[in-house]
Amino acid sequence: MESRLLRVDLTKRELKSEVIPHSVFEKWIGGSGINNWIMWEHFLTHDINCDPRGPDNIFVFGVGPLAGTGAGSGIKGRITFKSPCYNMFGDSAGGGKFPYAVRFTAFEYIAITGKADRPVYLHICNDEVALVDASHLWGKDTKQTHQLLQAELGSYPSKAHTLTISQAGENQVGIASVVSDALRIHARCGGGAVLGSKNLKAIAVQGNGGLPVKMPDEMLAWSDDFRQKIDENEAVYGFKRRGTLGAVEMYQHIGSHFWRNNQGNMFRGDDVTSSDNWVKKYQKYSEVCSSDCFIACDSKYKIKGDESEAAAKYVGETFRRPEYLTTGSAAGALDVRDWSEVGHWGKITNDYGIDNQDLSCSISFLMELKQRDLISRKDVVDLFGREQSLEWGNMDDIENCVESVVFKKDLFGELFCDGPYLGALRYSERQGKNFMKYAIYGKGGASFTEEMRPFPTWMNNMAVASRGADHLKGIGLIEKFQRQDLSKIYFDGRTEAADLSTPELKGATTALVENQVALLNSYGVCMFHWMLDPAGYTPQEYYGKAYAAATGIDRAPEELMRDGERICNLEKAINSRIGMRREHDTICERWMWEPTDEGMYPGSVAANVFEEVLDEYYDWRGWERQTGLQTREKLESLDLGDVAEVLAEDGALAS
Amino acid sequence: MITVQVCFKSHFKELAGTSEDSFELEKGNMKELASKICGKYGKKMQAMLMDPENQSLNDRGTMFVNSKGLRVSIEDHLDDGEQVTFLVGIAGG
Repeated sequence: MESRLLRVDLTKRELKSEVIPHSVFEKWIGGSGINNWIMWEHFLTHDINCDPRGPDNIFVFGVGPLAGTGAGSGIKGRITFKSPCYNMFGDSAGGGKFPYAVRFTAFEYIAITGKADRPVYLHICNDEVALVDASHLWGKDTKQTHQLLQAELGSYPSKAHTLTISQAGENQVGIASVVSDALRIHARCGGGAVLGSKNLKAIAVQGNGGLPVKMPDEMLAWSDDFRQKIDENEAVYGFKRRGTLGAVEMYQHIGSHFWRNNQGNMFRGDDVTSSDNWVKKYQKYSEVCSSDCFIACDSKYKIKGDESEAAAKYVGETFRRPEYLTTGSAAGALDVRDWSEVGHWGKITNDYGIDNQDLSCSISFLMELKQRDLISRKDVVDLFGREQSLEWGNMDDIENCVESVVFKKDLFGELFCDGPYLGALRYSERQGKNFMKYAIYGKGGASFTEEMRPFPTWMNNMAVASRGADHLKGIGLIEKFQRQDLSKIYFDGRTEAADLSTPELKGATTALVENQVALLNSYGVCMFHWMLDPAGYTPQEYYGKAYAAATGIDRAPEELMRDGERICNLEKAINSRIGMRREHDTICERWMWEPTDEGMYPGSVAANVFEEVLDEYYDWRGWERQTGLQTREKLESLDLGDVAEVLAEDGALAS
Repeated sequence: MITVQVCFKSHFKELAGTSEDSFELEKGNMKELASKICGKYGKKMQAMLMDPENQSLNDRGTMFVNSKGLRVSIEDHLDDGEQVTFLVGIAGG
């Protein structure tokens, strides 16, 4: 297994091709693992405490070795960089056809540094690469940019697929995202601001080359088996129909939504409380987001206008079905009660290329201050330069807030361009009042708009995730779905990981699942195939066989789990070098101290178990409890002695 | 003989064609309830509800909870008047 890395120095306008040798895959698997390695190596020669919006930051795109092989497990591309909004390790996955198309060029990895002296886009056509003037694209949103590039580049040797930023990225809004083919968003951590700071408007790829599969017969056999397992599971058909919106009913039943800035955990109203309403009124047809997926959970909607009073505002609007978290941010955080408005929210945040989790938590923070009369009418005018009701669910106000941030056009946009945590800190300082008890965050990052408090593993994930509050890095399905069968498999017959009534094994579960997710992200596959669990909840075993077929690297499951652990430890080391310690592994006051008062698990609060779970997490990681830092012994056991040396030099290794 | 209330959500509701039902059980356990639901609603419901490999409940992509919010398994005893809700188990996105 070898791969090609395209290095782009925008300052010097240099484009270089490098080979990533087999030995790197043996250590870092591919995808996010190799992205992390490229980032780590970069910051050995550049200041890791650089301004994330400066030329010394690096932006890496990578696609894993299973992508495009016919495995059928979906494809995710990954972007990796130092986050401008959270000032720590940052990365984000995205589906769509862009990552698939990249695999049919000569490159699987792209590393971008420096800053162009004027707006440009990067064009890759098989093995030919060029930086092209993008002045005509500047000021365009992601959809407009994608359409202009497709028209400009024609359809030979293939239609162009794009990764673009909008005006939010151009304005270096810290929560600006990067969007694949104008449809699938790499939302988290502000990759759009990094590209904007580099004057790089887009990456466009066209390719019709082949891609290497080391053992094609084995890959086909694996793929056939995988498809059969998926077809046998009726739950997959339900997922095809509703996608992640199927979670609406479950979360409504148990009380796991994030309502009104997480003052509650149930949606309100007759419409958004049922995914059936969405399917019946708006859904048109199902489709795959990326080629090489056997599930096809995506779908398109079209608003006719007569579905509801609100829908009349959006006649003719068509886009992709909102995912659960887009719904959680609108129907939950902002209390929007009409499905057409939820769809519209998803579309505008995608077109503007901005993270709707950060954005909704920023807006809902402000709406709660208004609800509690903690800010006056004059304060609102001060923030927006005009009157705004800031009433829950008011879509006109919400759209104004979006544009405030995207264009940094007023004080609200300036204060909250880096998400709710920094926004709340800045606003508290400006007003001379402490509003932080109303800011919802973990480790300085915006919450995913789901209720965390009844679920200790999820709360721990929010505190320790390498990219700030995050459930994907250590997604706690064993706990949330109470999968005792899986708890027994991973913890020697013990069931506590699936038992909501005890903190036992919750930190351990975070560590375990972080390692598994690191593997999946390094293979370059979609997590939903794994979450639906058609082939066993064990990425190190079943998926490991596909990885072997693709790369020729045939490793035992325990070795693959060690590889996942190594990848997690490198993300941790990057953050330790930046200065992050145990005190940064924390969550907001509401989760810590305010008990839930609705849903099936009332009275849930983090404070009772938080420190115990965190200690257990560090113990299972082999990190030092007091500081949260890695130990030399642990790093050397993962063949990361060189990393330990760097950390020791920086004073970032446990003593 | 006990009576158990059943709630179907999202894909379960689509397969059953109703959001609620009730069943009278003699043995009063989840195995009996699952068998009656499959018998009444047919093969697709059976494929959703049961794991064909080991005749336990299908844990993959599903969630079945009692009125206390606790996941039920095939061997669980059910009380008279208990409510079991059948949900799609997915998160995030």
